[in-house]
Amino acid sequence: MSAILELRGISKRFAGVAALTDAGMTVEAGGAHALMGANGAGKSTLMNVLGGVVPKDEGLILIDGRPVEITGPRDARRHGIAFVHQELNMLPSMTVAENVLIDELPTSGGLVNRKAMRTLVAPILERLGCTFGPDEVVETLGMGDRQMVEVARALAGKPRIVIFDEPTSSLSDREKRRLFDVIGRLKADGTAIIYITHFMDEIFEVCERVTVMRNGQRVGSGPIRDYRPADIVALMLGDVHEQDRLRAPQVVNTSPMLEVEGLHNGALADVGLTLRPGEIVGLWGLLGSGRTEILRALVGLDPIDRGTIRFGADGRLLPVTPRELHAEVGFVTEDRRGEGLLLPLSVASNISFGNLDRLLGRLGLIDRKREQAFAQGFADRLRIKLASIRQPVRTLSGGNQQKVVFARWLGTQPKLFLLDEPTRGLDVGAKTEILRLTVELAEAGAAVLLVASELEELMRVCDRYLIVQRGRITGELPGTADKDMLLQAVSEARPVERQAA
Amino acid sequence: MSTLVGQARRHGFLVVLVLIFAFFSLVTPHFASGANLVAMLHTMAPVVLMSAGMALVVLAGKLDISIGSIAFLSSTFTVLLMNDLGVHPVIAFAAALVAGALLGALNGFIVVVLGINPLIATLGTMIAFRGVALQLTGAILIPLPESVRALGNLSIGPVFVDILIVALLVLVIDQVHRRTVFGRQVNAIGNGEEVAERIGIPVRKRLFLAFVLSGLLASIGGLIALVQVGSISAYLGRGMEFTAVAVVVVGGISLFGGRGNILPGVVLGALTFEMIENGLNQMSANPYAYRLVTGAIIFVAMYVDALKSGRLQSVRRVALGSS
Amino acid sequence: MSAIAATPRVAEVRRLVTFAVPLVIVAGLLVVMYAFAPNFFRVNNLINILVQTSALGIMAIGMTFVMVGGGIDLSIPANMAFSAVIGALVMREAGVAPGILTMLLTGGLIGLFNGVAAAIFKMTPFVVTLATMTVVGGATVWITNSQSIADFPESFFDLMLARPGGVPLAILILLAVALAASIATTSTIFGRQLYAIGLNARAARVARVPVERVLLITYVVSGLLAGLAAAMLTARLGSASANLGNDGVVLDIVSACVVGGVSIYGGSGRPIGAVLGALFIILISNSLNQLGVSYFMNLVIKGVAIIGFIYLDRLTAGPGR
Repeated sequence: MSAILELRGISKRFAGVAALTDAGMTVEAGGAHALMGANGAGKSTLMNVLGGVVPKDEGLILIDGRPVEITGPRDARRHGIAFVHQELNMLPSMTVAENVLIDELPTSGGLVNRKAMRTLVAPILERLGCTFGPDEVVETLGMGDRQMVEVARALAGKPRIVIFDEPTSSLSDREKRRLFDVIGRLKADGTAIIYITHFMDEIFEVCERVTVMRNGQRVGSGPIRDYRPADIVALMLGDVHEQDRLRAPQVVNTSPMLEVEGLHNGALADVGLTLRPGEIVGLWGLLGSGRTEILRALVGLDPIDRGTIRFGADGRLLPVTPRELHAEVGFVTEDRRGEGLLLPLSVASNISFGNLDRLLGRLGLIDRKREQAFAQGFADRLRIKLASIRQPVRTLSGGNQQKVVFARWLGTQPKLFLLDEPTRGLDVGAKTEILRLTVELAEAGAAVLLVASELEELMRVCDRYLIVQRGRITGELPGTADKDMLLQAVSEARPVERQAA
Repeated sequence: MSTLVGQARRHGFLVVLVLIFAFFSLVTPHFASGANLVAMLHTMAPVVLMSAGMALVVLAGKLDISIGSIAFLSSTFTVLLMNDLGVHPVIAFAAALVAGALLGALNGFIVVVLGINPLIATLGTMIAFRGVALQLTGAILIPLPESVRALGNLSIGPVFVDILIVALLVLVIDQVHRRTVFGRQVNAIGNGEEVAERIGIPVRKRLFLAFVLSGLLASIGGLIALVQVGSISAYLGRGMEFTAVAVVVVGGISLFGGRGNILPGVVLGALTFEMIENGLNQMSANPYAYRLVTGAIIFVAMYVDALKSGRLQSVRRVALGSS
Repeated sequence: MSAIAATPRVAEVRRLVTFAVPLVIVAGLLVVMYAFAPNFFRVNNLINILVQTSALGIMAIGMTFVMVGGGIDLSIPANMAFSAVIGALVMREAGVAPGILTMLLTGGLIGLFNGVAAAIFKMTPFVVTLATMTVVGGATVWITNSQSIADFPESFFDLMLARPGGVPLAILILLAVALAASIATTSTIFGRQLYAIGLNARAARVARVPVERVLLITYVVSGLLAGLAAAMLTARLGSASANLGNDGVVLDIVSACVVGGVSIYGGSGRPIGAVLGALFIILISNSLNQLGVSYFMNLVIKGVAIIGFIYLDRLTAGPGR
């Protein structure tokens, strides 16, 4: 096998921040190459460089050993590079053939030639082993079939290199199996595959080689048989510098505050957990494992199909709906700027929002003075750095913005906190401050369910860990577990279950 | 070549149409006569054409509520050119078409280049175009020259010529939607503008052209209405934008874009309203009842449309590990 | 993140531009008026302008509530005309107070209908209110047979056209409504929640805002204020007719809001801005009228103005929106 594509010494900076530093990979014809990395490792940027979406600052792209310049998406396609995106770009009301060819419809005499469309698309569908024809309307197809349409669109340009970006995240096991068959066939035809996923088990099934990225650099590359899953996870996460714990692991035996059983929805299967006052429980899983979805389902931001939630701040548990639970918890979302804050509004407004019912003055109107004093109180308590309590919250730094989010919820004095990536995008100092705050919440008697991508953060505060894989809770580890145990827990490469029917 | 949903929609709708027809045939003596049917087609001809133009924009997921004003303003040009400057009717008519396309292009420019919400943009041009036309005509009734007025009743056998013109044009527009790269890509944009953008469809170019065509068809519709009436008045094209939206929705074309077909949708939609108006007339019902009934029908059609698209949107990504 | 530093200045420029442009236009216009039509500045004409502004301003305040929440209510004028007609009929039969109450109630109910469709059933606000406008407009024409309804009790005019302290009641009502609306938007929980929804409905939901209920209320408020405007206009014109709600009025309302800094994308704008916007619209109409510019060119200017102001709004809108 020979190298069809080589990315060599690619560097890219965004506004002075290095996204890629001397990154690269070598892809061979007829093989599948896994590209692994945690969130923000630079996988997407590297692929965007390859796709002509983002211009590189430095480095070489070699196709068949010859350097090429890729100036735009069309240019990438001309060089035989095709993408299968995670989000399906479907036109639901239109036919499969139209979906595949919409940007390059064959015409004759000015009219679209449907016959030519069929003759172009039918062989691709056949090659993919599809059971549907080119004239079927996409909205009548299931998710797996739509994924195939997306693949067909990539293949329509007769590409030599196909990049699959998280192709299985919305597929059932059976559909996944079909996709793997297709990838196998593509490899047999001599197509090179770059395969990006968060699911460790898949790459061992599909890929021959693997490249692991971290912080915009290649930190490992080679034949996949040379790696164990735990090696890859360790490379992805880097050295987990076990930092001092902020609080020794507690074994809490108080009566539960929250009991969840059999929670099911599109992303979750049979999720059950118990939380007690005063403990910090980490939901530990890789990105895409369903940890965020668990938090969102609990408060009704994602719908649930079935399952029971029982909650009681005083020891007596009563069944509640997610919406009712939402009214009782402090929920810190992972998307701070998109969901957590009202960016153009002032710090004061953001902190007081949700607490306004306790800031009413005469006539039931909001008392501005009390509002500002209330907000200022929290700003001082959390040491939020600001010029004025009235400045727009978007002008604050990330860490201070996150403190504003916390301040809002602290005001409502919830007994239960759901924290989704509360330290995302913060500098080291701010991270510690947020974690310390989390500990304070637990000390004050609140129960905390914490999601974080960085293991060392969880390990500084958690009293126990729930292991999340593929939308399920697959295990539990005590707060005393070391990093090897935790890494091992999420890298068990369970083979994809074969479905009987 | 149609989905189950589409078929159900069309059939359910045909039942309503047949019921309306049966009702008026039973309660009025002349409703079902051949002459009345031709008369109905004659009256609805301009509506069909303007709705077809609107349909193109709606299929792209936008709205153009300036079409009534474009019809009025471009017809105004024709009348003034003929009456005041003595221009030959053919040239005057051609001028109206050019004007329609240009006014549509202005809409396209405001929406695509200036990036202004199409509703507000065409709301603004709707008022502005009408203002210009009223200024030019002085808001008075101006009759057409005798020779041109005669065209209004020109017929081949029992069928009016304007019915044939509209039939031909609507056929062409329908083919443009179904069979050209432009039409398919407009439909794709209506399926999801961002998706279309990501796939690599030239979204801006296509939207611009859709507005130009909408303007052009509005001007032709305006001319047909003008010739039928025999004079231009401040009422020409007034309320046409709402009628066209109604026709389009009742014709099964989704206001959310990307769904439905110009034929038979637009014709059936227009026929629904025409039958109701004609039938109520023949029953000597209060003429204003028509607007009320129309509004109620639009509302029901829109509600059905919202329900359908709501259901389609709620088809969520299926399970991760559905084992 | 790099845009953080630039943001406050952008916001400042935006605020400056959106305030300055209408002011400059008005100032220029006043200079022209001073030169060519000095009668414009007579006290009576100025008061007349404020009276004319009152009904439009109140409807624009109603629209502001809906637009801040990210919606639009095109049915306001049709609703106003319908409420006026129904109320007028009741008034002739049952007296002044039931008549005025009927106007408010009718307006509020139609608003409730819009709200249920747009907020609860999630139908597109533009289209819902367009349909309501058609239905209600049709009903008005039907009921009145395109005639005006007049002959109200004298006490109606005595009440509505009163001039306590020399100031016409209409102006006082406008001020009162503007004040109440300002308080409602800035100092109540409802108001805060409304802006949150308009700025970022997802964030509002995360922060436990009952999005549907808040949006529903905006349409009811808009309907109620349409009913109030109905009472004021009926009294001023001495009659109620379908023509009260002609197409031009919708544009005037939207223009007033946009000129007054209410974003069509939701989340920003104040009722007082909408009132100033309404004043701007009336000033322009009135002065162009006195300069001999026809009503029709007036329409053209308004149409161009609305597009121009939306463009300005878009150009100056800060990042992150």
